[in-house]
Amino acid sequence: MASTAEKTTPFADTTVVDTDVHLSIPFDELAEYCDEPYRSITKYPTYTPVHRGGWNRYMGGKIETEKQNVQTADALYEKICVEFGIDYPLINAFPVLNSVPEDDRAVELMYAYNDYLLDNFLDEYDQFLGLCTVATQEPETAAEEIDRMATEKSIEGLYLLNSGAQPPLGDPVYDVIYQAAEENGLHVAYHASAGAPFAKDFPVQDTQFNRFLENHMLAHPWAHMMTMSSLIVNGTPAKFPDLNFSFLEAGVSWVPYMMFRFNKEYSMRRSEAPLLEKSPEEYIRDQFYISTQPIGEPNDPNHLQQIIDVMGTDSLMLSTDYPHWDFDHPDALDQQVRQFGDEEARERILSGTAIEAFELSI
Amino acid sequence: MSGTAERHVVADADEIDNGERIVTQIKGREITVFRYDGDYYAYLNWCAHQGGPCGEGTLTGTSIASYDRETGEVDSYWGREGEILNCPWHGWEYDLTTGDCLSRTGVTLPSYPVEIEDGEIVVTL
Repeated sequence: MASTAEKTTPFADTTVVDTDVHLSIPFDELAEYCDEPYRSITKYPTYTPVHRGGWNRYMGGKIETEKQNVQTADALYEKICVEFGIDYPLINAFPVLNSVPEDDRAVELMYAYNDYLLDNFLDEYDQFLGLCTVATQEPETAAEEIDRMATEKSIEGLYLLNSGAQPPLGDPVYDVIYQAAEENGLHVAYHASAGAPFAKDFPVQDTQFNRFLENHMLAHPWAHMMTMSSLIVNGTPAKFPDLNFSFLEAGVSWVPYMMFRFNKEYSMRRSEAPLLEKSPEEYIRDQFYISTQPIGEPNDPNHLQQIIDVMGTDSLMLSTDYPHWDFDHPDALDQQVRQFGDEEARERILSGTAIEAFELSI
Repeated sequence: MSGTAERHVVADADEIDNGERIVTQIKGREITVFRYDGDYYAYLNWCAHQGGPCGEGTLTGTSIASYDRETGEVDSYWGREGEILNCPWHGWEYDLTTGDCLSRTGVTLPSYPVEIEDGEIVVTL
């Protein structure tokens, strides 16, 4: 499919997939997609229907929220496709379901987020692609929802919030979710979150830190490290060899550390991960994909390139995380790739790897 | 080459109140002219980080701290109210009076000479 947006950006001649675009759905609108009693709870919450913690995310207003730019399909198209030059945004509803205290309400919100995403965004533009929200609290129910959503052409994968998912996501209790994903040919994307979901996994750290900078520094890599450890040790990628997984929003640099440490630990303690048939590094390179935002900012750009070279472009996919306060403008990564890489590397990171990872038919 | 520097009348001097600004286009560049404490400053409206519209961000104070090695005490306070320009995209802080980035040594917003002539703000670029 050819790009339909008229692009004036550096991406005019390049296909670009953004693997992490969030919605910001007003809760009163989401409530209309819920049955009672959940509709009323979502519409008239005590404080907020989905707790995010009280941290100072926007630096007392120094950072402006741009959430209004993703509240309608037209606004999102204008910002992401026209202004940023993204051809295919992979849109998630940004469900923070692990901080919903009632499991049954989390499940109801899963349905609501999915229907809202389809009705208001994915049905509006052909190039809008989507991730199915998964509430991990009830894995069997989630598997049924995956079967339902997989019939939608625009759904390319699953969105699992890993922060606050208990037990960790390699636990066999979730195998029904991975089985449903594999049977339906859907990619599994993990996304972390600071604030309340982080507090669920790391309550001591959340209460002991005194600044959001400390919390946010660790929330995403810690969640991903937990998930990656759990998946590898439980042998999830070995159990589901046709499944691809991705880790969104922790950047790239944490992955080489995990790969190399995992190889070392695995060789000392192989009998604790007996399902593995090859090294952890091979599973990570073969089945795990990494989204680039927030791309690291070493003082010497050569050092970022060394990390990219270790990972290889076959694992890396562009993401912006728009409209969140720490989003990356797509040009930031593109400038790095243009400076150090060739056109083939650029094509892989901007779209080729995502097309492979999500098996996009574009 | 950008050619010879030219003088550009941006606005009447009294069009900008103290602590206010205007965003203007000169030679294809978006430039923000600020008035602060009787002085005028002109900076490129392009954040050194990722190209955000830093010239349109809030002017606030910021947290300033020092550590006294003798007493072991930290002196921390909110200061420089109105002198810190914050990029609205990611919060990068710049000193309005110098253009220097507070978090990155050696990063400075491109600036342009501003003068008041016959009651008009003139930027040379």
